[in-house]
Amino acid sequence: MMWRDVGVTLILSLILPVVAQGARHTPPGKPKLTSCRSPDKETFTCWWEAGSDGGRPTTYSLFYHKENSETVYECPDYHTAGANSCFFNKNETSIWVNYNITVVATNALGNNFSDPVDVDVVYIVQPHTPENVTVGVLEDEDGPFLRVSWEPPRKADTRSGWITLIYELRVKLEEAEEWEEHRAGQQKMFNIFSLHSGGVYMVQVRCKPDHGFWSEWSTASYVKVPDYIPRERSMWILIAVFSAFIFLILTWIITLNRSSVKHCLLPPVPGPKIKGFDQQLLKKGKPEEDLLVEYLEVYVNEKQELMPEGKDLRDVGCLKSKSQSDNDSGRGSCDSHTLLMEKCGGVESKDESSYEEPELLQGQAGSWERLERGDSQVVDTPDSSDARVKTWPLVFSPSIHGSSDNHHYGTLEMPKQHSTSEITYSVPDHLFPTSTSFPHHHHPEYRDSLGEYSEYRHSRSPSTGVLYHWEAQHHPQAHSNFNIRNLERQKEATGLGLPPSRSMEYVEVQKVNQENQLVLKPLSSHGRGPSQVQFGRAVVDYSKVNGVNNDNVLLLQRQREMAEAGQYCDYREKEGAEAERYPTQQQGKTTKDGPVATQLQESTCLTTSGYVDTVPTMPTF
Amino acid sequence: LLTLSLPVSVLLLAGERILASAAPICVHGQAGCHFLSLADLFDRVIQHSARMHSISSDLHSEFEQYVLPSRNHIGRINRHCHTATILTPNGKENAQRLAREELTEVILKLLVAWKDPLWQFHQNMVHQDDFNNFSSNKALEMSYMVHELRKGVEKVADKMQHLGMISNSLSGLSSPEALDTSSDTSGESQAMSDHDLLYCFRRDSNKVQNYLKILKCRIVPENGC
Repeated sequence: MMWRDVGVTLILSLILPVVAQGARHTPPGKPKLTSCRSPDKETFTCWWEAGSDGGRPTTYSLFYHKENSETVYECPDYHTAGANSCFFNKNETSIWVNYNITVVATNALGNNFSDPVDVDVVYIVQPHTPENVTVGVLEDEDGPFLRVSWEPPRKADTRSGWITLIYELRVKLEEAEEWEEHRAGQQKMFNIFSLHSGGVYMVQVRCKPDHGFWSEWSTASYVKVPDYIPRERSMWILIAVFSAFIFLILTWIITLNRSSVKHCLLPPVPGPKIKGFDQQLLKKGKPEEDLLVEYLEVYVNEKQELMPEGKDLRDVGCLKSKSQSDNDSGRGSCDSHTLLMEKCGGVESKDESSYEEPELLQGQAGSWERLERGDSQVVDTPDSSDARVKTWPLVFSPSIHGSSDNHHYGTLEMPKQHSTSEITYSVPDHLFPTSTSFPHHHHPEYRDSLGEYSEYRHSRSPSTGVLYHWEAQHHPQAHSNFNIRNLERQKEATGLGLPPSRSMEYVEVQKVNQENQLVLKPLSSHGRGPSQVQFGRAVVDYSKVNGVNNDNVLLLQRQREMAEAGQYCDYREKEGAEAERYPTQQQGKTTKDGPVATQLQESTCLTTSGYVDTVPTMPTF
Repeated sequence: LLTLSLPVSVLLLAGERILASAAPICVHGQAGCHFLSLADLFDRVIQHSARMHSISSDLHSEFEQYVLPSRNHIGRINRHCHTATILTPNGKENAQRLAREELTEVILKLLVAWKDPLWQFHQNMVHQDDFNNFSSNKALEMSYMVHELRKGVEKVADKMQHLGMISNSLSGLSSPEALDTSSDTSGESQAMSDHDLLYCFRRDSNKVQNYLKILKCRIVPENGC
């Protein structure tokens, strides 16, 4: 029995506390003051959190006492600020006074004090958020910008200076992640620049007293930035458009004047080239020689162009004047017509070897070209006094004239070395109208049968070489190439006692070949032509030039008739060659006219038989 | 006399150093000095007080952070600032209820009361190892600023009197009466611990700043109010 009692007691003593444990109430747990805040530095609120309540309904009370005072006061208002809070109104609040605050949790079993907290209201100010936050888009010369403006929270008295607030705002694009924060100081307005065109921005503002806590961020304000082009970009766009416009206009202008631009940039330099002329030799000619050269316009090859000699231009006038004043009537055919070299001023034949290039004056170059192309235009007819006189640069001229005579003859020299004796003359069309016979003096005053002026072209400077491409096509059997030789010939001629002269040789025109080329045949000692030149006799084979064909080739016609008596060309002997020398009636006489091939001296030579007097040979190539 | 002459000489030197950096401010617009309006004067003075308060706050928090734990303060002694005898308004309404002259007087009293204790504090700091050099420089600057701020407020008071905004009852502040006040509290100020001193000065500098702002917004409310 006793054991049973002990056991029951033991069990009961063990069980009871456990049972009683669940039903026991304890004093409340310790509360804790979480924070005290003042929105305006005139009132403040403290919040606490409760500890365990101990199973019993627990009440909380807040007690405080001010510094240096023992009087304990209880919280005047537990409800205004919500649960577990204590609100101190204006009358209860003292600034710059230390509050010692304690919260007590009380239940039926006991109470529990929280740890005391010292609070000075000045340092716990946390204002409300700024109010009336407005965001607007304004325009500037640099573009749009945002203007954010706000007002201080209603409760904070900044007007009297009691509270000083400083503000801060943050901005971001709606889709961006990070905010861009700006301090605004005490101002209530802020500008934001450099916006994304067309973007939507979010703006928030908050404030803080000079010693206190930051307020919460205001609710976000949204603003949309209108589309705009940044000023720099618009300026560049404008510049680009303007430049493109200018470029187009320039291109159009250039396209319109394509030809003249091309002409300006790449001046064409055409010019006849005569095979057999040695340009170098020509150029070695003495510059002082003031020669007016009349030369045949010989077209050979378009490709072979000669460089124009600028200085020769000056002689045009010289020649012109001379030629105009000259009266060739009564002069022998050889005198003036064919190989005429005129010299302005004195005759200086020191430069024997100077040939003169067929001058391709730049200005005249075009006309040359035109001629060669068979331009239908009437080539500068030398109507005007300043007509370009195109003469065949009679390289021979220096050799021809030694005297004051203005006329030179040119002779065609037969190059020694060439065996072939082919001479082909190609004459520009304009000089020799195809339909008519040829023989016209190329004196500008004279007209050919067609009434066209022949043109003279002269070059003054002996240094200019005349480049002729002479290709004499002879009798099929015998061909010889004549090279219009320059210096050498002249030298040879000099050796013969004719200082300015060159050895010349007659060339007989055999026929005109298929290509309308004059076929000449030398009439020298080693020539093979049957015909011989005889002085004073008319046993000379002359060819009458019928005209000039399209290829600018002299169309000759063989004539057996003798030229009129008295018209003898001045034959110069080629050195060593048999040549008959005529009295130098023509020596020194220079006719200013007459490209050789044309032999267009209207008078004697041509009337009966237009023969082609051989032009002094030009230097060979 | 020696003890007085030393701080005075230092203060004079400090004052010269501070004043040499700017053109002298004249109240009445005499020739050769920079003329400031009352609003400008107020702004300057308020800025000074703000700087002074921030330095005192820094020193106080440094003290609490580094020095106090090492000193093993047990509990909190009832803090008693030596300026407690000066009646200061403790709320907005109280401050607004005060007249301009009274408010100005309160400010000046406070500033005067703190001149010597701060100097003492600095001297003590130099000899102690509790603070580093940076803190002792701050203490020195603090004491200079109190002196300069007082001068500035006096200038403001003069200008206000000149403009007729306040009566002339303020003129007696620089009289020995002020010195008496400081001498009354000087004994107590020496009993203050460093910590209490810093605590009290932090609060009083805040009061000065706030009072000046209230005064400014009451007298020249154009900007910033």
